[in-house]
Amino acid sequence: MKLKILLGLSGAFTLLVYLPAIANACAVCWAGDGGPTDNAFNWSVLFLMAAPYTVVGSIAAWLFCTYRRSAAKRAKNEAKQPLVRLALNPEDSGR
Amino acid sequence: MDESLTAIEPKQRSFGGGEPPAPPVQPTPPIGSNAWLAVLIFLGAEAMFFAGLIGAYIVFRVGSPIWPPPFQPRLPIATTGVNTLILIASAVTVRLALKAVIAGNRKKLILMLGVTAMLGSIFLAVQGLEWIRLIHFGLTVSSSVYGGLFYMLIGFHGLHVLGALIWLLIVFWLAKQGRFSKERHVGLQTCSMYWTFVVGLWPLLYGLVYLL
Repeated sequence: MKLKILLGLSGAFTLLVYLPAIANACAVCWAGDGGPTDNAFNWSVLFLMAAPYTVVGSIAAWLFCTYRRSAAKRAKNEAKQPLVRLALNPEDSGR
Repeated sequence: MDESLTAIEPKQRSFGGGEPPAPPVQPTPPIGSNAWLAVLIFLGAEAMFFAGLIGAYIVFRVGSPIWPPPFQPRLPIATTGVNTLILIASAVTVRLALKAVIAGNRKKLILMLGVTAMLGSIFLAVQGLEWIRLIHFGLTVSSSVYGGLFYMLIGFHGLHVLGALIWLLIVFWLAKQGRFSKERHVGLQTCSMYWTFVVGLWPLLYGLVYLL
């Protein structure tokens, strides 16, 4: 008995799912007529698709530039340091 | 026997009889502070938030054959253009404030922060006055999609400028207390980043909403 009810409900659900008037292929199918709305969605989708790449790319570029600048500054400081240390500590010079 | 060994040791070292002690390992300093990184990520999230709003605007703007819709007031392009220049000038002054703190010039730091806050306040005041005029002309949030989009985009930007201005005033007060130095100025640096973001966003919104 339970199996019959279950099968009946599944059948009814399947019929509802396959009703062509209810289910659309996508949320904006009504705009696919080549009109201005179609164009508007295209531009908006393009913009929103490019946005995350632009944002993440900008952050990555900023981090990269800051790292390069910091590394160059550090290398400049380190290049100066050994001369001073050797002059101050003759032991480190190996003599 | 022990005494003889200690006597030989310095001689051996001078002839290469042992490696000199390794120099102390210097930790690599981070490229930025944690607060700096947090604000950078926050700005990324803010950019995505505005990208969503701009995306919605594009749908309505490009989808409408006539824009602005008929019987709707026109936006004040010239006044807002001048206001845009004022806001861009504030980005320059906040940058000068950051340079002043790095140079250790406290007087210039306070002056530049004050000028930035003043320019930001002028921008907000002019925007507010223009909004009042537009509301009197009949452009409200509920008057049309045009009005709704205008107040949503420009309004959110205005709110961000207000938030940045409050942050800037706190930084200004801290600078007057002498809380920033050449070595420690993360608060000012992060505030400058946020201010530059809201300023940099404005010309894009101005071009999109007022000029296109």
